[in-house]
Amino acid sequence: MRGMILGSLLLMGAAALLCGCTTVKPWERDLHAREDMQPNALDLAIDDHIYFSKEASSGGRGFAGGGCGCN
Amino acid sequence: MQLKRKRSIGESLATATCSLLGALPAARVQADESGPWQAESALLYYAEDGDRVRDISFDGALSYAFDEDRTLRLNLTLDSLTGASPSGAVPANTVQTFTRPSGQGSYQVPAGELPLDDTFLDTRVALAATWSQPFGESSRLSLGVSGSTEYDYLHLGVNGRWERDFNQRNTTVFVGLAYAQDQIDPVGGVPISFAAMQEAGDSSSKDGSNETKDVIDGLIGFTQILSRRSLLSVNYSYGRASGYLTDPYRILTVVDPLSGQPVADPAGSGLNLHLYESRPDSRTKQSLFAEWRYAFDRDSLALNYRLMHDDWGITSSTAEARYRLNWSASDYLEPHVRYYTQSAADFYRTYLVDGEPLPANASSDSRLADMDAVTVGLKYGRRTRHGEFSLRLEYYRQTGNPDPAPIGVLTGFDLVPPMTAVIAQVGYTFNF
Repeated sequence: MRGMILGSLLLMGAAALLCGCTTVKPWERDLHAREDMQPNALDLAIDDHIYFSKEASSGGRGFAGGGCGCN
Repeated sequence: MQLKRKRSIGESLATATCSLLGALPAARVQADESGPWQAESALLYYAEDGDRVRDISFDGALSYAFDEDRTLRLNLTLDSLTGASPSGAVPANTVQTFTRPSGQGSYQVPAGELPLDDTFLDTRVALAATWSQPFGESSRLSLGVSGSTEYDYLHLGVNGRWERDFNQRNTTVFVGLAYAQDQIDPVGGVPISFAAMQEAGDSSSKDGSNETKDVIDGLIGFTQILSRRSLLSVNYSYGRASGYLTDPYRILTVVDPLSGQPVADPAGSGLNLHLYESRPDSRTKQSLFAEWRYAFDRDSLALNYRLMHDDWGITSSTAEARYRLNWSASDYLEPHVRYYTQSAADFYRTYLVDGEPLPANASSDSRLADMDAVTVGLKYGRRTRHGEFSLRLEYYRQTGNPDPAPIGVLTGFDLVPPMTAVIAQVGYTFNF
């Protein structure tokens, strides 16, 4: 368990360092601003609820949450 | 003088949407000409094969952008569940009689069939609200509340998330925290761990009417724009649940070590010996989630992976891919695949063996078994002048493995049969 915390933090730190030197100017972000590059909150919430009630894992992208007697 | 323009709802929602999820906005959405309101709605039909669970659900979200950075989002979910759910007992080569969870009445399961409790019927109402606003020069804060109620379950929760941009907004870092307190009121009372199922009308296996559990979730992560076309999000989450984590309706069959047949209740209840399950009173989960998004000139691709590990001994991996095919200015197709695999919880037991000492905890819940699952789906969307219509179809199949391996007559039965489900969803989103 402790290894996973440490590994996660190291991975995140390394990725942040590696990526930190990238700079895409605001006027170059037209593709990032496209609607299909955004997560669809409603679909993701529906999927999370289904998988939460059918599998032993939840969350990751957001809060593991629950709020349901289905699991 | 008003310095801030009225923010369009589309622009505000990248932040609000992700606040709700506890995750990061992928990027700022371009302004559009719509009004400050956005309504999202979806009607969902979920059906498992056989006579198992069916759910008809309405999901709606209403968002209002007060100005460029302030958004309120309200969510409503209505679930109507019917069907039958596995009780946890194993099949036998004779007819088996079970007492209903309410303790009032009984039902019989034919020889060779997986025992399903057919009284599964529930209605769930869930509400959530999230407020998002700036917090200092380059930071944003969102705060949310959630609540849901079912016949036997009540949930209340709060959550918050703070995020900050760095590196000319190429990097966003966030921290989130959520707390929930849930109350469980099992139909027929709270069963005593490992107590034997009793005949209808006998409540000696139940003690008390309700239990509670607390859940704390922490999230930390970042989103990094990698190039003009791609970005990476990485999240680490830590969650701890404590209190009553047992499924009050789940039972384990005690079988003969040689024949594999259920043994009769030695107390003379007239039923076979089925014990109510018992789980630890705490669970700590950790997960690492990474998502990569790439924009082609016309289409886009999203790939994500999640590694989860908990102190119940479960380790899972989830890999998912979505490809958005924008085949015209107004129409798109989005194929979706997902693969999931998990190892069994340490205390997962498909059945118990007569004469062996009882473990500290045991559950026959197949959701805690060694399991794989695959989802394939397709979404079609069409944008009109007023909004977007979508239709989504998904197919889900789950296969699990029993533990311990079947003995005696149990070798002739599928103790953890595959489960397939279809998911159909119609959605409509519009701004005004």
